[in-house]
Amino acid sequence: MSTAGFKDYAQHFAESRAAVVSLAVSLAFVACAIFAPLLSPTDPYDLTQLQLSDALKPTGSTRMLPGEEVRANIRIDGSATSVQPATPAKTHVTLVAEPCGLNCLGVGVQPEGTRLANLQIRNLPAGATVEGARKHPVQSWWTVDNPEGGKVRIASNGPLPATFTFLAIARSMDQETDFVFHLGTDSFGRDMFSAILYGVRISVFVGLVAAGAAMVIGTGLGLLSAWRGGITDAIIMRAVDFMLGLPALLVGLAILAILGNGVSKVVLAIVIVQWSYYARTARSFAMSELGKEYVEAARCLRLSPARIMLRHVLPNCMPQIIVLFTLNIASAISLESSLSFLGVGLPLTRPSLGMLIASGYEFIFSHKYWISIYPGIVLLVMIVAMNLLGDRLRDLNNPRLDR
Amino acid sequence: MTAPFFRVDNLNTWFFTRQGVIKSVRDISFELSRGEVLGIVGESGSGKSVTGMSIMGQIDEPGRIVSGSIALDGEELTTLGFEEMRHYRGKRIAMVFQNPLMTLNPLMRVRDQMYEAIGEHENISRKDMHDRCIEALKAVGIPSPDERLNAYPHEMSGGMRQRVVIAIALLLGPDMIIADEPTTALDVTIQAQIIYHIRRLIDEHGLGMIWITHDLSTLSELADRIMVMYAGATMEIGTTEEIIGAARHPYTRKLLDSVPSRNVPGRKLKQIPGNMPSLLALGKGCPFASRCDRATDICSEPVPAIQLSATHHIWCYHPFED
Amino acid sequence: MNETIFEARDLSRSFSVGSSPLRDFADHFLRDRPPKVLRAVDNVSLSLREGETLGIVGESGCGKSTLARMIAGILPASSGERRFRDEPYESFLARNRDALKVQMVFQDPLSSLNPRLRVGDIIGEAAVLHGLVRRPQIKDYVADILSQVGLPADSMGRYPHQFSGGQRQRIGIARALAVKPDMLICDEAVAALDVSVQAQIINLLMDIKQDSGLAMIFISHDLGVIRHLCDRVAVMYLGRVVELTETEQLFASPLHPYTRMLLEGMPKISLQRRRFMPIQGEIPSPLSPPSGCHFHPRCPMATEHCGRIRPELREASSGHVHACLNIEPC
Repeated sequence: MSTAGFKDYAQHFAESRAAVVSLAVSLAFVACAIFAPLLSPTDPYDLTQLQLSDALKPTGSTRMLPGEEVRANIRIDGSATSVQPATPAKTHVTLVAEPCGLNCLGVGVQPEGTRLANLQIRNLPAGATVEGARKHPVQSWWTVDNPEGGKVRIASNGPLPATFTFLAIARSMDQETDFVFHLGTDSFGRDMFSAILYGVRISVFVGLVAAGAAMVIGTGLGLLSAWRGGITDAIIMRAVDFMLGLPALLVGLAILAILGNGVSKVVLAIVIVQWSYYARTARSFAMSELGKEYVEAARCLRLSPARIMLRHVLPNCMPQIIVLFTLNIASAISLESSLSFLGVGLPLTRPSLGMLIASGYEFIFSHKYWISIYPGIVLLVMIVAMNLLGDRLRDLNNPRLDR
Repeated sequence: MTAPFFRVDNLNTWFFTRQGVIKSVRDISFELSRGEVLGIVGESGSGKSVTGMSIMGQIDEPGRIVSGSIALDGEELTTLGFEEMRHYRGKRIAMVFQNPLMTLNPLMRVRDQMYEAIGEHENISRKDMHDRCIEALKAVGIPSPDERLNAYPHEMSGGMRQRVVIAIALLLGPDMIIADEPTTALDVTIQAQIIYHIRRLIDEHGLGMIWITHDLSTLSELADRIMVMYAGATMEIGTTEEIIGAARHPYTRKLLDSVPSRNVPGRKLKQIPGNMPSLLALGKGCPFASRCDRATDICSEPVPAIQLSATHHIWCYHPFED
Repeated sequence: MNETIFEARDLSRSFSVGSSPLRDFADHFLRDRPPKVLRAVDNVSLSLREGETLGIVGESGCGKSTLARMIAGILPASSGERRFRDEPYESFLARNRDALKVQMVFQDPLSSLNPRLRVGDIIGEAAVLHGLVRRPQIKDYVADILSQVGLPADSMGRYPHQFSGGQRQRIGIARALAVKPDMLICDEAVAALDVSVQAQIINLLMDIKQDSGLAMIFISHDLGVIRHLCDRVAVMYLGRVVELTETEQLFASPLHPYTRMLLEGMPKISLQRRRFMPIQGEIPSPLSPPSGCHFHPRCPMATEHCGRIRPELREASSGHVHACLNIEPC
């Protein structure tokens, strides 16, 4: 299309405000899908980040860090202190030690302000004590409960040895953090906001790839059908009738029941369901194009059938096929969501929107509405936007509505 | 011929599109008497169909009658509302289009369509309706009208369908019929039959008729007066004798000269060079000037009407003299 | 000049109406109903000499467009023979580059051009693909063709919808000329145009004929145009040729009653009013044409054997053939 033609088309499109909004919304969703890893505050696929303590938290609550036990060997060598963590796993809280004057050593934790249940110091050299601590009856273990500011002081009447090593064990209490779950968490403690972003990513990906593959296959078969006619046409079109006669969801369920779940299998199921729409549309528009004189002219110029179909007929069918594509992305997304909702679509570890809705379904009657409702709203907005967009494109292509 | 009962005065119908204002009809004036056929001839884009649609009150957005008057028996039509206009449409002014399938409903028998047309405006018995339908079908020369009443449109040929459409137009005894290219899609033998019946109808019933076409030869056989339009404006108006036999406007002359049957076979035709100017970019002068070999600088000024006889008017600074 | 460039012998084309493979199958087993067959072209024989223009005239449904497409080689024949310079069409059409020698200009200036291709591509595509011109030279080549049809060279970058009807028809002619044809078939090429533009296109076709000596088949329903352009004329009625002769001869002394009726009905610009009743009757449906001579139900000269015997073409004088049983050989 020429630039002037495109500009005119764009102006015409913009006459409907709903269409402009739906175009913007659709593009925003595609952007969300592309940039989900950058936009989302957590990675919902990283199972190690999940904490059961965060499960089923309502909208706006903050993340809790559970209490931990941190051990470290602290070595004093003259004026230098070194801390060697002795806890195998990585911890949020780390121990620190620093001199606090003559014959005095402070032991505390980072980050500052962490509330501790207790702090225990073991294996102090003789003569050293921990201020305000109770001592183990037998061992040289000093324990301070609820140390103020999370710090204890090791003091001695005489000078401390130049070099010694002791063990410090801090048990922290559950910590509130300032990380807010804006849309709550699901039953695994996943941040719903992040999960929805990644869910949109999967849904848009599945929608685009499945509708795209169905478009290529279906349009190809439709063109073949229109060009060959006769028995080829009859076979392809009866197959189309057969496919259109079956409920899409049922076909999808059956295919996934055989193949098992996974993104590629869901895409395959949607392609099997959707190719027939493209085949029928492409055939009927190709038939009407084939009846036009420019096709006869191309045949008179002895161009090859493949060239006539692909270079002359196909571009003239494309507007209608693009409209169908836009509408079918929306229906592919809703089909994927339905399949996932029914539990045969995508695995639980990589939730799509449908999966998220399904996972919240069992909690919805215990007033934990956010797990199902938010992904549901997002899905609704996405599908409505794409349908409005497709409708507008279809209207623009209808010469009867044109003036 | 009686005094004119229908007048159009300085009609302007413009279309306000995204590309600009298309002045499809500019300052058109004519009148019509009973028993008279006025032919409006012009090429595509000349505004002849828009003139017909304007009279019928069927100009849709983004078009609008900008100014001018259309009066039937002294009553102004341009100011009527939709409902009032609907009363006029069919009852007093009927229209026949090029494609009969625009008028005929493919799912209804001819009988039901004709009954519906009558029932819309009058309350008479089915027996009377039937008689009137038969009479109308006979008037347009349809053989065995009783059988045709039971037929569906697709069971008839194109010529037969067009006759049925004309018969429907006649049903309510209108004062005038506007026919827009009614025989263009038909074969010449069928066209000749329809023209024969139309002429007889006009003469017998004293109807007024506006026959819009691009085909001068049809008009030369049918019309009493001819108006020549080009790019939305009138070029020349006069009796058929004056236009066909003694055209004075360069455009009319050249149009007549470019018809193959008025040229020597095998020789080159006298053609009009160039194309019709875009209706978006018209000056105030003569729209034909760009293609006219008689044009001078003055042709870019507004062209006044020149009266050559009681019936013959032209809009041209350099008319042919004889 | 008198070499024959194209010849058709007993050319026929039938279409089965409203059928599909499935319905054919069902009909075959379930009902004993013969399929509805439309004989669009029925045993037509004609020939075209080098440099000659042959007109084919007839009303709607007479099969002239089907015949045009068979001659152009874009529609196969049901039976009969087509020859191009004495070579059967089967082998002639198989060689793509030679088959380009037969080209066609279409009726509808809107639908005969692909709306999504630029004019340059519409005209140049086939010439490049078939190796008539190399890709680097295509611009000059197309510009040259465009000037032949009276369009500026910068038209090639534009799209068909940016042109008027007459200009589009010029593009259609340029497309045909770009592959250097020897024979041009014009199917109602000026029917959709306004009178003034029609004259321009007719003049253009006459120029082309004069410059390149193309043989032309000109199909039209308009006797005025046919008379102006053609050397010989074939009159068709319901799939059959009913009369074929030199143009002058046809207009001066038509023999077949259908030809006479056409000539009488031919619209003329004159001030003489037709006050007589025109010939009655409709063109019968091509699906069920009348028996014998197709024209007999409308024919003023018909006798009872016209409904029984199919008239064959017979020669009235040298080069003047007709298919009427009631004209005495002179």
